[in-house]
Amino acid sequence: MTEDKTLSRRNFLSVATIGIGGLITALLGIPAVAYVVGPALKKQTEQDWIPVGRASKVEIGVPALFKVKIQRKAGWILNEQELSFYILTENGRDFIAMSNVCTHLGCRVRWVENDETFFCPCHNGVFAKDGKVVAGPPPKPLDQVQVKVEDDQLFILGG
Amino acid sequence: MNEQEKKDYLDSYKKKKEKGLPFFPDILFKDAVISLVIFLALIALAYFVGAPLEERANPADATYTPRPEWYFLFLFQLLKYFPGNLEVIGVVVIPTLAILLLFGLPFLDASRFRHFSKRRWVTVLTTLGMLGIIGLTVLSINEAPPPEATASGDATAALYAANCAACHGPSIQVPEGANLHEIIAQGGHEGMPAWGADLTSDQIDALAGFILSPKGSQFFAETCGACHSAEALVASEPVELKNALLQGTAYPAHEGVEGVEQWAGLLSLEEQTALLNFLVAPDGQRLFATNCASCHGASVAVSGTEEELSATIRQGGLHLEMPAWGDRLTEEQIRSLAGYVVDPETGADGKPLYQERCTACHPARVPSAGTMTEAIEIITTGGSHETMPVWGDLLTPEQLDALVTYTWNASLGTGSGLGQDIFSQNCSSCHGAFGEGGPNPTRAGDIIAPISTAEYLKTRDDITLRAIIAQGQPNFGMSPFGLAYGGPLDDANLDALVAFLRSWEANPPVDLPPDVQSDTVSLTGGEIFATVCSQCHGINADGGVGPSLRTAAFQSSNTSESIFNTINDGHENTAMIAWGGILSSQQIQDIVDFLLSLPESEGGQSGAPSFRVSVLPILQAKCEICHSASDPGGGWVASDAQSVITSGDNGPAVIPGDVAGSILAQKIQNLQTFGDKMPPRQELSAESIQVILDWIAAGAPDN
Amino acid sequence: MINRIGNWMEDRIGWRAAWEGIFLRKIPKVNWLYTLGSASLFIAINQIVTGILLTLYYVPTPDHAYNTVQFITYELPAGWFIRGLHHYGASAMVILAVLHMLRVIYYGAYKYPREVTWTSGVLLLLVVLGFGFTGYLLPWDQRAFWATTVGTRIAGTAPLVGDFILRVIRGGPELSEVTLARFYGVHVWVLPAVLLLLVGVHMILVIRNGISAPPEAGE
Repeated sequence: MTEDKTLSRRNFLSVATIGIGGLITALLGIPAVAYVVGPALKKQTEQDWIPVGRASKVEIGVPALFKVKIQRKAGWILNEQELSFYILTENGRDFIAMSNVCTHLGCRVRWVENDETFFCPCHNGVFAKDGKVVAGPPPKPLDQVQVKVEDDQLFILGG
Repeated sequence: MNEQEKKDYLDSYKKKKEKGLPFFPDILFKDAVISLVIFLALIALAYFVGAPLEERANPADATYTPRPEWYFLFLFQLLKYFPGNLEVIGVVVIPTLAILLLFGLPFLDASRFRHFSKRRWVTVLTTLGMLGIIGLTVLSINEAPPPEATASGDATAALYAANCAACHGPSIQVPEGANLHEIIAQGGHEGMPAWGADLTSDQIDALAGFILSPKGSQFFAETCGACHSAEALVASEPVELKNALLQGTAYPAHEGVEGVEQWAGLLSLEEQTALLNFLVAPDGQRLFATNCASCHGASVAVSGTEEELSATIRQGGLHLEMPAWGDRLTEEQIRSLAGYVVDPETGADGKPLYQERCTACHPARVPSAGTMTEAIEIITTGGSHETMPVWGDLLTPEQLDALVTYTWNASLGTGSGLGQDIFSQNCSSCHGAFGEGGPNPTRAGDIIAPISTAEYLKTRDDITLRAIIAQGQPNFGMSPFGLAYGGPLDDANLDALVAFLRSWEANPPVDLPPDVQSDTVSLTGGEIFATVCSQCHGINADGGVGPSLRTAAFQSSNTSESIFNTINDGHENTAMIAWGGILSSQQIQDIVDFLLSLPESEGGQSGAPSFRVSVLPILQAKCEICHSASDPGGGWVASDAQSVITSGDNGPAVIPGDVAGSILAQKIQNLQTFGDKMPPRQELSAESIQVILDWIAAGAPDN
Repeated sequence: MINRIGNWMEDRIGWRAAWEGIFLRKIPKVNWLYTLGSASLFIAINQIVTGILLTLYYVPTPDHAYNTVQFITYELPAGWFIRGLHHYGASAMVILAVLHMLRVIYYGAYKYPREVTWTSGVLLLLVVLGFGFTGYLLPWDQRAFWATTVGTRIAGTAPLVGDFILRVIRGGPELSEVTLARFYGVHVWVLPAVLLLLVGVHMILVIRNGISAPPEAGE
């Protein structure tokens, strides 16, 4: 009888001890996991409308190159980064903004006035005025960025 | 413990062990419960209190009061009881002994007894040790800075109640001659903390006033307190305070102010004295600093006795009564008298004349004079050589006693000559003559904290001080002064300067608060130049440690923009720091405009010094104290070019273009035909004298 | 199944002896004061875990230290939690270690045959204080900087070698990036290594000699 009691008491204490151990591990472990993976879960970039320049600077039918500096903070260091892209309008009201990074291997494309195309010097990729692939290895059109105009001021969505 | 005892113990332990419980789960369960409780407590602390994080470390911040983590507080507190040479006991001896005792415990207490009742010594000593550690920790926490008291009514009394009453009760008896300000600021005696870090200098002054004259504080609260705060008034000049009290409604600043009454009639003489004693605590050091230092420097050499000093201070200019003996005696008689005065032994033939003529007024001792010329001068012209106020009328008896005691004691010490000279030439323009700091000349609302307080000096070793001086603090507008960093001071100079600063530690000259009343700095480019640039570029911008800014080469090869950029960014590895962080763009532009407006000079030759840039600052620093527009000593006013030239009881002080004939030029060079040299005690630096002479020679332009 | 795995492992590593020797060993009847040692060990583990987590983000240079601590405290998820546990764990460690030591003193538990256990315990206390002193500087905030300035200066007042010690601790005449780097190195490499070694010795001795029983009157 006493043997049984001792045994069940022992069992209870064993379970309780292991339970407390598990509880402490969880209390410390779950926040620890959140702490470690925190920066990974942070939204890649908080997107924001960034003013880039005057809409009237963009001639109709000719893509204009814009550069804008943005500040990025991965952790505790503020880095300045330069974004550059072409902005094109065909009617002065609707604008499209295209990254100037070639979708093939990331070289910078440039606007060739005479051919009315974007040309990538690395592997002779050619894009049309609206970013579609015309020739060469690029697998897809130039990336587009959202753009809007307010009071002659161009904004792109980025960050 | 012998072998048998050891064996017995092991046997009895074995039995106890067999009767015991298995480690898992019985014992481990208790451990787990305790661990969980502690862990939850830690989580609660982290959640509700949070790990503290203060401002980013700022090595230049002199005002931060360091405190170690709480479990080292007892050591920190222990050190307070071992000042000076005894420090080594608190730092090395006691901790080492404690650690050795711990290590040695099993060997010192090697008997077979284990129960505490059989080991009285160990039990008692351990308990005492722990109580000591806990007691020291509690003491240290209690001495932590209390939250700022927001006081109403008698603010000073509240301040006293909050900070002092706990230990000192309702009032304190102060021994005569005690320097209360210093005692409060530095912590005077056993267990008394240094308040200098927690209270402003004004508050300490108010407290000192309250302790010495609690009644005065009460009168203050009843009369002046409606409009003034005690901390604001204690920083004022005693002369002004007395005038305000005596003149009542007639006092200029009080005119037309509602509520001002004729205090002099309402308060009895005793009450007036109490009030003045409260506002200007009878604290000799402070009285000396505000009243005497402007003419006498850091201390006065006294040749007579303490009673004579007391009489001189009380009577002040009263000994102006001395007649001009030049009218009554022959030149030869004056000579022999002077000889006697300068040295009674070699000039003994003047003794009969002295006894006949002088003993009526100078009975106790022969007045001393430095040189024959000086003595002849004084005897010939009589008393007008001093413009010392009659302090006996201005100060209360308690204040006078304190002032005399302090001056007397101070005169017994000596300053460290070279370091002091270097300090007054290079440092005092920003840090004040006593390192008391003051408004930052280049930045509105900013103050330069005192560097002569015990607190400041205790927390910096010589190496640190030397590094600060040599390398400057570019973030705060201090240029490097070390030769290696492009400044003017070599190693010997730096050492002397550091030694001079260190000499303050034992007895800080003043704890005067930086006095920042005006929030605006409306300096012209020229004035900023004179304050911050001229130390290297010369008072006339014609070069010194730094290059001349007036040569044709400089003026023609630099655009306004390039000069601006140079000032803004500085030159790396030179004493030219980047002023962009210190001065506003407007101020830098003003300097640029000023530089470009300077007339070009060839080969560093200086033209006429500018009155406002070069001359006026000297006059303001050295002369205006006695020659202000409101109180012109000798009728001469040193505050603007017009009065500098024309005013003076003895005719115009300056004859433009005529250096030899200008009284001002004569007096600063000690070439005068009457009266004393000027300034009476301190001498102007050779450079300053040259500036003034150049200015006169150039026709004394008001530029 | 579990039994089979257990047997398989037993054949190869002999865990049963260790399990019986450590966990099933008999302990004399003891009271709650005997949990202080285990609690200290628990906090030590807590400090090691949270400390390792903190080093994932902390950078020991004057231009980044403060920013990283700010980042940990205010921006990372549960950063305040990890740092809070580490910060208050340090205080708890000191308290528990001292209380544990007082228990040992009052119960005479340092006596034969546990003298060496005691010595390793005193060394552990010194290591804990060393952790506290070096860790205090790492956030590089005002109180860290100034407390360490004064703390190191106190060490510098020792006679003859004081100035030399001061320079060694600070890595130069003044508190600088050198000081921060070496305090960090000592805090995360030197002291933990010593701590683990001493804890190991302490534990082995505790298991070998058994936990002392509370002495009865007359013993």
